[in-house]
Amino acid sequence: MAEIVVTGMGAISSIGLTIAENRHSLEHEISGIRKARHFKSHYSDSLVFGEIDQSDEELLLELGLEKGLGYTRTTLIAVKAFREAIQDAQLSPEDLASTRTAFISSSTVGGMCYTDDLYHDANLQGSPSEFVKHYEGSDHALQIVRLYGMKGITDVINTACSSSANAIALGARLLETGKVDRVIAGGSDCLAKFTVNGFNSLRILSEQACKPFDNTREGLSLGEAAAYLVLERKADVTDSKKIHAIFSGFGICNDAFHPSATSDDARGPRLAMELALKRANLNPEDIQYINAHGTGTPNNDLTESFAFSKLFKDVPPFSSTKSYVGHTLAAAGALEAIYSILSIQNREVYPSLRIEEPIPDFPFKPTLKYAPDVTINHVLSNSFGFGGNCTSLIFSACT
Amino acid sequence: MYIKDLYAISPQKTHDLSFENGDWLVFNEFIYKAIEPSYQDIIPASQLRRMGKAVRMGIGVSLPLMGRNPKPDGIIFGTANGGLEDCIKFLNQIVEYNEGTLTPTNFVQSTPNALAGQVALISENMGYNITHVNGSLAFESALLDASLFFDEHGQEEKTILLGAVEEISDYNYNIDHLGKRFKQELVSNEDLLYSNTPGSYCGEGSTQFFLSNNPEKSLAKFSALKQSSCLSKNEIGDFVLSFLAEQNMNPEDVDCLLLGKNGDSLTDSWYDELAKPFGDKPTVYFKKSVGEYRTVSAFASYLAVQLLNGKAHHLIENGAAAEPRTILIYNHFDAVRHSLILIQK
Repeated sequence: MAEIVVTGMGAISSIGLTIAENRHSLEHEISGIRKARHFKSHYSDSLVFGEIDQSDEELLLELGLEKGLGYTRTTLIAVKAFREAIQDAQLSPEDLASTRTAFISSSTVGGMCYTDDLYHDANLQGSPSEFVKHYEGSDHALQIVRLYGMKGITDVINTACSSSANAIALGARLLETGKVDRVIAGGSDCLAKFTVNGFNSLRILSEQACKPFDNTREGLSLGEAAAYLVLERKADVTDSKKIHAIFSGFGICNDAFHPSATSDDARGPRLAMELALKRANLNPEDIQYINAHGTGTPNNDLTESFAFSKLFKDVPPFSSTKSYVGHTLAAAGALEAIYSILSIQNREVYPSLRIEEPIPDFPFKPTLKYAPDVTINHVLSNSFGFGGNCTSLIFSACT
Repeated sequence: MYIKDLYAISPQKTHDLSFENGDWLVFNEFIYKAIEPSYQDIIPASQLRRMGKAVRMGIGVSLPLMGRNPKPDGIIFGTANGGLEDCIKFLNQIVEYNEGTLTPTNFVQSTPNALAGQVALISENMGYNITHVNGSLAFESALLDASLFFDEHGQEEKTILLGAVEEISDYNYNIDHLGKRFKQELVSNEDLLYSNTPGSYCGEGSTQFFLSNNPEKSLAKFSALKQSSCLSKNEIGDFVLSFLAEQNMNPEDVDCLLLGKNGDSLTDSWYDELAKPFGDKPTVYFKKSVGEYRTVSAFASYLAVQLLNGKAHHLIENGAAAEPRTILIYNHFDAVRHSLILIQK
């Protein structure tokens, strides 16, 4: 099958407005989880969030977009990351409009990020808001399609927290089967009362900044981010300097156990990782770093560790970069794919922050300190979501 | 992609198959509500109570289909909005209780992937499982995903449960009403295309297909599909002709057109533009049966399969199609997003 490569990346998160800023924070162990400045909620004071340090107004201004046209925060951060990715891959306006270019996005909260406007519109209170036609989960993608006059294949995936990992996999499949020549794939989710209250009602939010894989972890911290990757067939890329990494494989399955928890024997996560290795034609010992799903909930980190213990004879270095940015939901898969690629490119492993006592049930522990000068040829990146959706991606160094 | 089996819950009586045998309901309402069967023999009462309408209709179609077919290798759904009623119920709680202590049921049920997840859970299916939420192209995206899945598995026999669901809740009706998507005045669905006013009427339902790459005993096949956005009206002719050319076909090879005209005076002319190269062709206007909703092209596909199997011919206008073998579906939403689906015997 055709080799798929990453030729462009763009990301905005609580640890940086660009790829370069994100990498700087990762390298210097700077977490973005803190008291929110822009997000207004009952929980703004009692919880911490991985909030992007720009207001909607600042984003509109920076992106040169007009106010009042229904650009939600989900859309604004999506446009920001999308723009960085297409510039990085040097895609022209003609490339973007071409029917041979696909755009595969993802979001969970989508256009429903302004809870109060939605409440008024849904209950017919007052005159319609500017967002009345922009509440759909796919709205951010449609806005981008319109901004760039994209005529090709589009899609928006929602498999909860594995959404953008699945967007990347779908993009690769479109390239492998020759349906398109280039794909922009990723996702966007911003902080919203809807999500915060949803996760709070499930009692899986941590009061303190999350500490994935710590024995006293209490839950996850929510964050916001948008991240996009440009994928192409290696054979089509004339300038090899453009290639960031190879996308070697993916595994997708369902845990089929519980709507919002992973099975005790982690059968879904294990199968997803096994399928990814099989598709990449690799063995477990070929993996030099795992960017774990690592949400910080008692259930996830225990079951994911259990899955590692079953799949790997010697568990390779692993960490959860959610300790930097929180759980960015639909964007997490693409953001962590980018962090995995940065890890390969810069020969470094980013740690799990704030671990005082690793989970004692296993003989292995996550990477606790920034580790430079590490040769990483293959990274496994995990994303597991509500509804049992499990996805693992593998990225490899260019050879 | 061969269609082995299919089932639908829709505003027409598809649940007991009387729709395809000639029983056609006339609506004089703003909302075309799905006729739901009794679920008591299908879904345990304790689970049914917790299910929102989208999940309920979806499971209500999935379980009978899964019951009479082998375990599928993949479950792929398309829905623009998923369980909106639960979603807004949860939202109302957030606002009305000022973000107090809330119960998670509505939140968990409201996520669009809840249906595909529940189907996997109930049938203990660990296979490929994806939910596409690409607005008015959500079903087309699911269909594309299914075609990639079969492409990848080559000769190996594989099956997929492919479906779509959309529900009407008071809330999304309100939102779309404010967005001026619906007509202010009432005409019957018989006269939907002659109203000469903007907007349409709102429908809902779940349509699902059991697909295989093995042609044996199939009802029809999804032969090709194409989607595009941001086309201008004068590009529509090329859009359809190039699609047919890719299949080595001409307009004459199409026996029957299924067009998504919904009575909206602002955008219905796009359908006329597309139909031009086809001349006088037997045509079905499927939204007269079920109204407008984001994944209605799944219902159109269902109808196409029935037409190819000698059923529902009472819906054909503009001349008779004796034994149609090739059906082309064209649908657009807001004249921004366009799709073509080719279904053949």
